[in-house]
Parts: sequence; structure tokens; C-alpha cells
Amino acid sequence: MLGTLILKEVRDIFGSTKFVISFSVCAVLILLAFFTGAQNYQAARRQYEAAKAENLRQCDGLTDWLMLRQNRIFLPPEPVAAIVTGVSNDIGRTVEVTGRGELSAEDSRFEGEPLFAVFRFLDLEFVFGVVLSLLAILLGYDAICGEKERGTLRLVFSHAVPRATYICGKLIGSLAALVPALIVPILIGCLVLVLMGIPVDVNGWFRLALAIGTGLLYFMVMLVLSIMVSAMTHRSSSAFLAMLVVWVMSVFVVPRAAVLLAGRAVVVPSVDELSSKKAALNSQLWTQGRQAISRWTPEKTGGDMEGMMKQFQDMMEKQADERDRKMQELAGQLNEDRANRQRVQQRWAFAAARLSPLASFSLAVTSLAGTDLNMNDRFAAEAAQYQGDYAKFMKAKTGMVPGRGMIIMKGDAGGGAKPKPVDPKELPEFQHRPIALAGAVETAIPSIGLLIVWGLGAFITAFWSFLRYDLR
Amino acid sequence: MTDSPYLEAVALSKRYEDGVLALDRVSFGVRPGQIYAMLGANGAGKTTTINIFLNLIDPSEGEARIGGIVTHREPLEAKAHVAYVSENVMLYGNFTAMQNLEFFARLSGKHHYSRDDYHDILRRVGLSDDVHYKKVRGFSKGMRQKCGIAIAILKDAPAILLDEPTSGLDPKAGWEFCRLLESLRQEGKAILMSTHDIFRAKEIADTIAIMKEGRLVMEQPAGELAHLDLEKLYMEYMAGHNGPMPAEA
Amino acid sequence: MFRVLVTKELKAILLSPRFVGTFMVGAVLILLSVYVGIQEYRAAVDHAQTSQLLSDQGLQEATSWMSASTRAYRAPDPMTIFVSGLAFDIGRWTPISTRTGVRLRHSLYSDEPMYAVFRFVDFSLIVVVVMSLFALLFTYDAVSGEREDGTLKLVFSHPVSRAHYLLAKASGAWLGLAAALAVPTALAVLMVVVYGIPLGWQDWLRLTLLLGLAALFCGSFVMIGLLLSACTRHSSVSFLTGLMVWVALTLIVPRIGVLTAGQLTNVPTVAEIQGQREAFARDQWDKFMRDGIGRWQGNTDSLGEEALLARIQTEDSLRRQVETNISDYETRQYADLRRKSERRERLALSLARLSPVSAFQIGAMTLAGTDLDMKPRFESAMDAYRAQFTDYVGQRQSESPGAGGMRIEFNSETGMKISNPRDAGALDISGLPKYVSPRFDLAPAVGSLALDFGVLALGLLGCLFGAVMLFSRYDVR
Ligand SMILES: Nc1ncnc2c1ncn2[C@@H]1O[C@H](COP(=O)(O)OP(=O)(O)OP(=O)(O)O)[C@@H](O)[C@H]1O
Ligand SMILES: [Mg+2]
Repeated sequence: MLGTLILKEVRDIFGSTKFVISFSVCAVLILLAFFTGAQNYQAARRQYEAAKAENLRQCDGLTDWLMLRQNRIFLPPEPVAAIVTGVSNDIGRTVEVTGRGELSAEDSRFEGEPLFAVFRFLDLEFVFGVVLSLLAILLGYDAICGEKERGTLRLVFSHAVPRATYICGKLIGSLAALVPALIVPILIGCLVLVLMGIPVDVNGWFRLALAIGTGLLYFMVMLVLSIMVSAMTHRSSSAFLAMLVVWVMSVFVVPRAAVLLAGRAVVVPSVDELSSKKAALNSQLWTQGRQAISRWTPEKTGGDMEGMMKQFQDMMEKQADERDRKMQELAGQLNEDRANRQRVQQRWAFAAARLSPLASFSLAVTSLAGTDLNMNDRFAAEAAQYQGDYAKFMKAKTGMVPGRGMIIMKGDAGGGAKPKPVDPKELPEFQHRPIALAGAVETAIPSIGLLIVWGLGAFITAFWSFLRYDLR
Repeated sequence: MTDSPYLEAVALSKRYEDGVLALDRVSFGVRPGQIYAMLGANGAGKTTTINIFLNLIDPSEGEARIGGIVTHREPLEAKAHVAYVSENVMLYGNFTAMQNLEFFARLSGKHHYSRDDYHDILRRVGLSDDVHYKKVRGFSKGMRQKCGIAIAILKDAPAILLDEPTSGLDPKAGWEFCRLLESLRQEGKAILMSTHDIFRAKEIADTIAIMKEGRLVMEQPAGELAHLDLEKLYMEYMAGHNGPMPAEA
Repeated sequence: MFRVLVTKELKAILLSPRFVGTFMVGAVLILLSVYVGIQEYRAAVDHAQTSQLLSDQGLQEATSWMSASTRAYRAPDPMTIFVSGLAFDIGRWTPISTRTGVRLRHSLYSDEPMYAVFRFVDFSLIVVVVMSLFALLFTYDAVSGEREDGTLKLVFSHPVSRAHYLLAKASGAWLGLAAALAVPTALAVLMVVVYGIPLGWQDWLRLTLLLGLAALFCGSFVMIGLLLSACTRHSSVSFLTGLMVWVALTLIVPRIGVLTAGQLTNVPTVAEIQGQREAFARDQWDKFMRDGIGRWQGNTDSLGEEALLARIQTEDSLRRQVETNISDYETRQYADLRRKSERRERLALSLARLSPVSAFQIGAMTLAGTDLDMKPRFESAMDAYRAQFTDYVGQRQSESPGAGGMRIEFNSETGMKISNPRDAGALDISGLPKYVSPRFDLAPAVGSLALDFGVLALGLLGCLFGAVMLFSRYDVR
């Protein structure tokens, strides 16, 4: 009996124009998302390589590492991030590393190319989150009430069909028809990635697969939700209207309102406030430092220039370290405070936003793709680590960690050996690791769990409402 | 013919949520091999009665029984023993006639039918072969009605509920339908039919009842009703092309 | 006759659940979005003011005019309450100093990526997404649905002209939609006034134009729905096509337009440009250094105090020369970049305007001053300010010269000498010109606005005409 019902459902769906048209639109969009993602990735890769090469070009002809003025590191593009963009286009991608002090990422993609910010990109998150959910509604809104309007429900229930079996057949049949249908264009999309030579590694494939799985889960949730609404209404037009309201709320209102409310409720000091506090301390420290330098006298070295220079440099180095330490203390304090508040803010924002299935879905896939809010923090941490390496490297090469504000000019009276140019290859390279699978899954789990809860809840509600549905 | 009724309404009452009393203590019985025709004005409560037999709604008081099973207590058990044709049969528009038949046959738990059986039945209700594989969406009302009848026959249930089954059928199909009903009666089915067609009701029904405002105001064997000459003449004219032409009218 | 038809349409719509749904959703969304917009606007004004203040304080603490640098903050525009556009994607400030060029950085979204996750909801988004959808819902079954109900046959058994009938449908739906939105919109505007958001006469004009544009936009979707309805025989089919058309026009065409333009044109990224600038700057400084070594070779002690000062001054002017070179180069580069991206933007927007949705969105952003011109507009104002700043600083510096830093000399004979030429007192910045954000001027935007209005009006009339033509041959059975 259940089998018959499921089979009928699948057949009915595949035979309908509604399915054919909306599925074609989906397929085209999914393929487009993969294709534009791949293209974007390639473009970003080119830009990234160009920027990196330019950065290294600075070293051409340098004879002393100290003369390296601005060493920049860039966030490399990632294939999965191009397909699920998340905040990757909103956060800064370039960090200037001096060896000391605080780092700040600048130049987000959208800042640089605001054109793309006008309508944003067509990525998988958008296709699933907005378009596919709408199509799920379109395919599910008249599942029950439509049959009633058309009169088939009466005929079916003049047979000995238990309601429970019928609704299960409806739900399972719809899912069984639509979900595999969606997998086809997705697989073709993956093939497009391979054919275009996008280097997705195993970790990337896993995360992509999980992200797609989450997308399908979200699609299922929306489908079951609309069947549920369909089992609670008697006219398909009101079912659609109701689902439309749910969709607008879920996609456009709840997530945004949640974030804004949390932003209002939890006050986080702005970046500018922080930086002005830091600047104040910095200038104070410099003033003290200058006074200290003025008071400084070298120990007697008997006119040994080199020794005196060495002493001076050591002193300066010590001072810089001291300054650094103090700055870091303050910065650490301020940043931690900000980060803590931000975390609280985000927790509230996302907890409230997750009321909307779309938000749960978005948070889950961006976590899996590594383009959630943590992307910013991970990049910052990696940059800080690189700064450490860079400082060590510079110390080894030049005997001091360069910071801003000191220019050394050696007026060499005597000829001396001609200095050798530096080898740019020696410059430590910025290592960016894509997010580990386990970590990504761990952050995504709550959202996925919530989606499952949504799905099950809708399933059960649909079930219960149908048991009491007026079949006439 | 046994004596105990197969379809049975016992003091059936139905009051809708909005207060309309659609059925008021209606009692009747339909024995196997009997055709029971319900007549009545629009809104008299015929469809409501049938809905209760199908457990599409619960009665407010009293009960409907099918083969002794109370429909609102064990609806599934009851429905396994009854086939139904509505006044306006609606089918899955995306499916062909064959697919619809197959689906509903399976729902009735009849898995043993072959393709030929479906063709046979469709022919029997008067659907020619060229539409068997057409999507039902394009069918006319009468064609859908015929499909509905085919589905009811397929179910092979001991009782049949017919809600104005002949609405939309052309005269020939209507006549054929009556023959079909007669053969079903021969097989011993208990048939409950609501209709507006008093002539045809008188022709084939064993018992005729008239409902008015939710109450059964008259119930008589069909034989005792045959009084009016005009009616009789007209009936003969409608029933058979080989019958005598009316001498005057 | 026409009056009778319109009245019937209006009645039918006002009593339908669609109207109730539209009204409720519209009211909640519009009021919410404007409320949020007001809060965000006030927060942004606050932020810009305090940050400007802090940066001025920072400037005071600088030790010399040479190292003086400040920031210029972009002042928010009250129209962002209705159309946030790119306001949150574009950097909020630029450093202003003699050394670095103007470039807006640190957008709200990059500083607070939490907001970027779902972005903001504003009036224009509501119009684009929700109102267009409801407009379609109002008319998709205007013809096909009535045919199915059989009422069409009944109506045309009376002496009714088909064009009149269709026009009545269109006006009824449009009026109904307007009725659903008028109240919440009026309340929203009232809220803006009550919260004391400063609106000048130009702002009111912009707001009026924005509402007009929104009405035109809704109208074009009403017509699209009507056209589809007159194309199809079943309301389920017109519903389906309507939804697909909506998805295509709202969600796809604009993006595809932009992506296509992005593919067709090549614009270097800021990182690339900066790399080039760095390379150029390094060359320049290298040269300066090399020459400097030549200049300073020999015993500086033999020079008198006067000569040394003169030397330092030439050194200073040379250094400034290098700085100007570099910043000129940067300016040239950015001008080039701007030209290239403007070309790309023009192409992208023309492609996107194939959809009325983008036409509306672009028009709304232009009206709010949050369009793509926003960045160049602010940057050029900031550039002008930077010129003032540089002039002023140069002037002040010539009054009290010195690099600000300290000079430390090691000499094998005299040992070490530390000189701290200037006392590190606070700078007097009272005379420093202040940065004033440019007021939005409607005049230069008129051309682009006319285009958007034109596209929408043309689309509307085209659809209406198409619908009338199709309906004149419609089989009403
Ligand atoms: N869902 C309902 N809610 C309230 N009243 C109803 C409902 N369905 C039917 N009725 C009322 O019950 C009464 C009987 O209706 P029913 O459909 O049984 O009539 P009928 O005899 O089948 O009429 P027809 O010959 O037109 O088919 C009518 O007065 C009708 O208004
Ligand atoms: Mg009836």
C-alpha cells in the first residue's frame, strides 16, 4: 500500500509540467552556480598570484632585508569558498605584515569591486537558500489541499487507505522524487569543476559533499514544511500565500532582524574606538621612548663604531620590544574584550536567526565551506603566526625586527665589499590551511541538527494535521 | 437475497459546525442484491449520508454500518467493503486512464489484475481503446465518470455507493450504466445510489426513498410507485430505442 | 462601464486573502525596515562623528607636521534608511596624509562581518522581493482564472469591450496594491520625521521620487502578471510561469548581467595596483637613498650649523618630491582603475537593466546616493580635501620644519650625537581645514534616473500593450 502510494507520488510529480519547468530552472541555476564559482575562483587565483608576485618584486635588487618596506600577505582563494561564498567577499583579504604590532586585513572583494556587491554573486548558498526553497514551496504547497480541490482525495479515501499511510506516502514520495532529481545537476556541476581544472582536494570534496547534503536537507525541510501547510489548509491559494509569508519571513526577515536586534542589544566597541585607544597609548610610549633615547649614552667602547652601533641597536630593540609588549597588552585586552562581546552578540544573533530554516542552512553550509565568520578569525590567526615567523626571519637576517618608524642610513665612508642582493625566495611564505573537515563539521553540527529538528517537526505536524484533515 | 441489510443507517443524524442539521435521524437498510435509490431536492442530505458511509465525516448521532461494521469506529475495515463513484469523478490528470486504474486497483489491494483486465473493464464501461493511454486531464466529464465507474468495478466490493453517478453521461452511456448496475445486482452487491433522475431510479431501483431537509419522508418498493402513465411512457422511450414510440405527447 | 469594472475589481481584491496577506506582510516589513534603518543611520552618524573626533585628537598628538595624518569619515546620508545600497560595502574612512593616497577602507561589513552574513533589510529590498511577488499574485489569474471559473464567458455575454476589461483589471490590481502599501509607507515616513532625521527639501524630493519609482515598479509587475495571464488558459500555468519569470527577473538576470560584464572586462584588483605602487615607491626611495648616500658622504662635522640645516632642508624637500611622485603615480593608477571599472560597471548595469528589478534597484540606489558612484564621489571629495590638507601641512611645516623624528649620528670620531630638533608638543590644528562630506546632488544623477524611470515605464506599457493585444484574441470559453 505504502509502496503504491509512493510510486504514484513519484510518477505524478515527474509527469507534471510544474516539475519539469521548475526542475529545469533549478538545474540551470545549480550548473550556473558551479560554473560561475569556478570562474570566480580562477579569476581570484589569477589576481592572487599577481598580487603575490608584485609583493615579491619588491625584493628585486634589495641588498638588505631591512629595506623591505611593506611585506603583504594575501588570503588565497579556495575552490569551496568560491562555490559557497559566505562572508569571503566581505572580509579583508590583504594584510600588511611589519613584524611588529597589530595586523589588520583590508581590501575586501566587495570594497574593491562594489559592482559585485550590488546584486552579489550567484553561489550555491543563494541558489539553495533562496531559489530552491521557493521551488520546494511551489512543489509542495498543493500536495494535499490541491488533491482535495481537484477531488481526487475523496476517491482515494473511498478506498481502505489509512490516513497515516497516505500522508507518509505523500511525504516520502515527494522527497524520493525530488531529492534524487536534484542530485543529477549537482553531480554535473561537480564534473564542471573537475573539467575546468579547479583543484579541489579530498578535504574540499568532503566539505562540498557535506554542504550539498545540507542543502538537500534544507530543501527537504522546506518541502515538508509546505506539505505540512498544505495539510493544514483547504485551498491551495491560501496554502501558497501562507508559505509565501513563511518564505519571506524565513529568508528575508528573521535572520536579518535577529542580527540587527542582537547588534542593538549587545554593544560592541567599534574598530575605530579601539584603534584610537591604541594610537593614544602608542604615541605616549613613543614620547617616553624618545626621552629615553635622548638620555641614553653608550658605554665606553673606545671609539669602536661598530660596537657603539650594536649597543644602540640593542637598546632600540629592547625599547621596541618593551613598547610592543605594552601595546600588545593593551591591544590584547581591548581585542579580547571586543571579541568576547562579539561572541556574545553573535551567539544571540545566530541563536535567534536560527529560528529561520534558511539561517540554519546558511550557517551550516558556510561553516562547512569555511566561509563563515570564523574565516576572519582564522585568517587573522594565520597572519599573526606569519608575523611571528617573519619577525624571526628578519631578526635572523638583519639582527632586528623591523617596526615602523626607523630608517637606517649607513653612510659608508670606506668602500667595503659590494653588498649582495637578497634572495626573495628566502622570505617566509604565508601558509593558509583550509579548514579541517572535523572542525568544519563541528561548527556546522548545531545548525544541521536544528534543520533536522525542523524537518522532523514539520513531518510530524504534517502527519498529525492530516490525521484530522477534513477530506470532503 | 438474504434478509439482513448490508448497508445500514441507524438513526443517522448530522449537524454541521455551522448549525445546519443536514441529517435528522435517518434509518434505512440496503440488502445484498438490492438497489436503493435516494431522491431529493438539492441540499436534502444525500451526499452527507454517503459521506458518512465513507467516513469522510463523522455522524453527530446514530451510526452507519457496512456489513455490520460501524463506519466511524473502524473506517478502514468498512471502506475495504465498499466502492464509490462520486457525482463528479476527479482523477489524477497527469496519469493516463490505465495508470489511474492501476493505482486505484492497488489501493484496493487488488494486485493481480493484468493490463488486459484494465482494458476489458474500460471497454465494459464504454471507453474506447484509443483513450486508454490518454492523460485523464483532457477527458470530458462523462469520460471521467466512466473511469470512476471502472474503478468502482475493479474494487469488486460487496457494497457500492453511487452519488449521482449518471450526471454527465450521454443517454446511451446512461442506459449502459443501468445495465451494468443490473448485472452488479445479479452479482449480489448492495447498491446505494443518490440521483435526481426519477425515471431511471424507478426503472432499476428496488427501493426508492425521498429525502427532504435531512429526513427520509418516503421509502417504497419501486414496483408500488409505477402509477403515472406519462412517466411510464417517457421512461420506456428513454430506456430503449426498440420500445414503442409514444402514441401522443 | 469602466467605473463599474474597476469598482468590482477593487472590491474583489480588497476582500481577498491576498490583500490581507500583502497588507500585513508589507506593514510589518516596511515598518521594521525603516525602524532598523533609522537606528542604523543614527548609529552611523554617531560613529562617524566620534571617530572623526578621535582621529582629530590623534592628530593633535602627532609630533610634527610631517608625520601628521588624519582620517576623513564618510558622512551617512539619511536616504540610506530606505535604500542602503552599497553603503555598508564601501569603506567608511580614508587616511588623509601627505604620503598615502585617498582610498576608502574598512567597510561596515568588513569590520563587522556578522552583519554581512544576512545583510540588511531595507525598503528597496522589500519592494523588490515582496511587493513584486504580491503584484504578480494580484494579477496572474486575472484572465485565466476567470475563464476557469466561467465568469469570463458571463461577463462577455454583456456589452463589454475587452480593452476596458483588461484596463480595469490592471487599475484595480494596481490600486489594490497601492492601498495595501500606502498606509505602512506613510507611517514609515512619519516615523522618520518623528525620530527627527534631518531631511532637506532635496531629500523630500528624492523620497517622493523613490516612492514614485516603487509605484512604477509594482505597476510593471502587475502588467507582467496580466500579460502572463492573457497568454495562458489555466491559472495554474500562469501561476507557474509567473513565479519562474519572477525568479528570473529578480534573482537571476541582475546577477547574470553583472557576471557577464565581469567576464567580458578585466579590471585589476586593488592588491595588484598596490603591488605596482609599492614597486614604484621602492624604486623611488632606492634612488633617493642612493643619492642620499652620495650627498651625505664625507665628514658632516666639517659643515657648519647653517650648512647642516640647509642640507637637512634640501633633504626634506627631496623627500617631499619623492612623496609627491609616488602619490602622483598612485593617483594616476587609481584614475586608470576608476576608468576601467566605470566602463565595466556601465556594461554590467546596462545588461542588468534588462530586468525591471535592476532598473528599480539601480534607480533607488541612485536616488539614495548609495549607488556605484558613491565611492568615486566620496573619494574625489576626499582627494580634494587631501589637497587642502597637504597644502596646509606644507605651509605649517615650512614654519616649523623638522622631520619630527630624531636624528642620531654615529661618528667614529665624535661618538654618538642625538638631536631632537623639535619639542614633541601637541600640534595646533585649529587652523586645519575640516573635512566636510559632500552633499548629495540630484542634478548629475538625472540622466541615469531618467533611464531607470524610462525602462520601467517602457516595460509597463509594453506589457500592457501585449496583454491587450493577446486578450483581444483570447478564447473566453
Ligand atoms: N461542510 C458543510 N458545512 C455546513 N453545511 C453543509 C456542509 N456540507 C453540506 N452542508 C449542508 O448540508 C445540507 C445537505 O447537503 P448535501 O450535500 O448532503 O445535499 P445533497 O442532497 O447531496 O444535495 P445535491 O442534490 O445538491 O447534491 C445542505 O443544507 C448543505 O447546505
Ligand atoms: Mg450531493
